[in-house]
Amino acid sequence: MEAVGVGKIIAIHSYKGGTGKTLLTVNLAATYARKGKRVCVLDLDFRAPSLQSIFKLNGSEYWLNDYLNGACEINKVLVDYTPQCKCSGQMLVGLANPATEALRDMSSKDRKWEMRALGRLLSLKNTLLNDMELDYLLFDTSPGLQYSSINAIVSADVVLVISTIDASDVEGTRRMTHELYDLFEKKTGILMNKVPIEFLSTPVDRDSVCKRFENTHTLPVLKVIPCFCDVLRAGGTKIFARDDPEHPFTKHLDDIASKVDAF
Amino acid sequence: MGRLDVRNSAILLEKIKESLDRLNEKMEVFIEIQRQGGKPDFVVQDLPEALDVMTLLSLPDHLRKTAVAICKLGHATAEEVSEQTKRARAVESGYLNQLVLMGYLKKERKGRKAFFFVER
Repeated sequence: MEAVGVGKIIAIHSYKGGTGKTLLTVNLAATYARKGKRVCVLDLDFRAPSLQSIFKLNGSEYWLNDYLNGACEINKVLVDYTPQCKCSGQMLVGLANPATEALRDMSSKDRKWEMRALGRLLSLKNTLLNDMELDYLLFDTSPGLQYSSINAIVSADVVLVISTIDASDVEGTRRMTHELYDLFEKKTGILMNKVPIEFLSTPVDRDSVCKRFENTHTLPVLKVIPCFCDVLRAGGTKIFARDDPEHPFTKHLDDIASKVDAF
Repeated sequence: MGRLDVRNSAILLEKIKESLDRLNEKMEVFIEIQRQGGKPDFVVQDLPEALDVMTLLSLPDHLRKTAVAICKLGHATAEEVSEQTKRARAVESGYLNQLVLMGYLKKERKGRKAFFFVER
């Protein structure tokens, strides 16, 4: 029987690649950890693992691939990032194996394996949120309709979909949320990212952009995040929520974290 | 009535109740099949099918909700599934038995209770 815990599983997904999904995942996790929460981030983007380079970790003896293969338990995969996180909470990280052989192996799994992987992802609610009493479990997923990302969506309590204002991204996101998320009755929020700053110069402009995308998606737009040159310039090497608490990007993350809590 | 008679009657009543429960489950499956227009919207499989996410997506809405609930619960009774889906126990029992017939779920009895699960 499923135990009832207070922790939340958040899957961060997008229709297209390059929307800023991983950066937002890492910074949202750091935001919660800064607030004293116990957080775990898992890299479920097995086609293009990237958390290892962002967190500058050497890796662990086991990868998430091994956990989903049933070769180890989740505690063998997790790396404690709390000392580097400089936070009052706790941050654990689970990495995907970036080796080419591992990428090939993960893309050749059959339906039976995917079914077992779904079972192992679903069981994380018990092991990480209930037994280890973590507050948040964040899944960084592959873009589009991949097995691994749909497994993550089914296992999550809340899904945050990142979209840019690119027309194909907006249309693809709209189709994906209605043809996939609706079927699984997921709590879904949209984050519009990399929006040109001139679209958001006044509060009226911001409201108008927000309303426009809410009408398109018929889903709540939790935040419209401007395109910050500083963030682009950092090239994914800086965790703003940890290193620059006063940066406007970090303030946006604080707001997103509160909205997700109230969701 | 002697103490032995009372105990025998209780055992007999228990057996009758178990038989009625099983009969009820079968009736629920038949009712569900009738509701679908007289024939099942599935083919009974000899080999168990994989209940992966693509299969979940292909299921009709009413069965998908039940299947997702059992995936989350792991091993559960119709009562436990109904608590999660907020639908009536009898409805869930019908859907769960339908998923068993389709080869997606397994069913086992422990005493009077029937448990459903995905064989991974």
